[in-house]
Amino acid sequence: MKQRAQITKLAKARDWARRLTMRVERVLAAHPHADPDNVRHTLILLEQPPLERLQRSLIRGRATAIFRK
Amino acid sequence: MAAPLPFSESERRLLQVLLKRKVRFMVVGLSAATLQGAPVVTQDVDLWFENLGDPKISRALQEVGAAYVPPSNFNPPMLAGAGAELFDIVLRMDGLGTFAGEIKNCVEISLGRQKLKVLSLERILASKIAANRAKDKLTIPVLRDALAATQTVKRRAKRK
Repeated sequence: MKQRAQITKLAKARDWARRLTMRVERVLAAHPHADPDNVRHTLILLEQPPLERLQRSLIRGRATAIFRK
Repeated sequence: MAAPLPFSESERRLLQVLLKRKVRFMVVGLSAATLQGAPVVTQDVDLWFENLGDPKISRALQEVGAAYVPPSNFNPPMLAGAGAELFDIVLRMDGLGTFAGEIKNCVEISLGRQKLKVLSLERILASKIAANRAKDKLTIPVLRDALAATQTVKRRAKRK
């Protein structure tokens, strides 16, 4: 049972990754000079609600500031 | 009600009181960019007010126990007190038009029942290009790519 659930999760994750790759390729086809990493991260963030995106950005921004001190 | 991410209860309250009192302001800078999906990091939330002398601002700040601190020799204008530390005040936006002109280029983000005005990614990029400081130069390519990605996504959604 547990193993079946894990297999389903893995299949879902692979499916998501495949769709993401296709979407990145679509953006790059329209904007060949865009950086694939920037495009991929943007597409991933667009799956999150706006306030969650800001939350992530603030956490990382503050962590970077602490690291610099 | 629990504070929606990423604001604390007092930060959310400050924004909601400003909105309730119909103070004209918008979120700008990298926090605005990140709300729209740009993969950049920031440490604060920049707010651009149409008129800092608007008495509705001081009344809103008083209501939440915060205060406006005018600029001094080394410090820019700022907000101080309960829930205000996260927010920075922006006095001008390089390369952009007036507040009244730019508010037309805002997107709206829900904050509870209210809507927060957020400067569009396109206009944030324009301001970063115009400001052209060392730190802006690092984010310009990322903002440009994020804009390309969001525009492609929007175009496809429209076609469907």
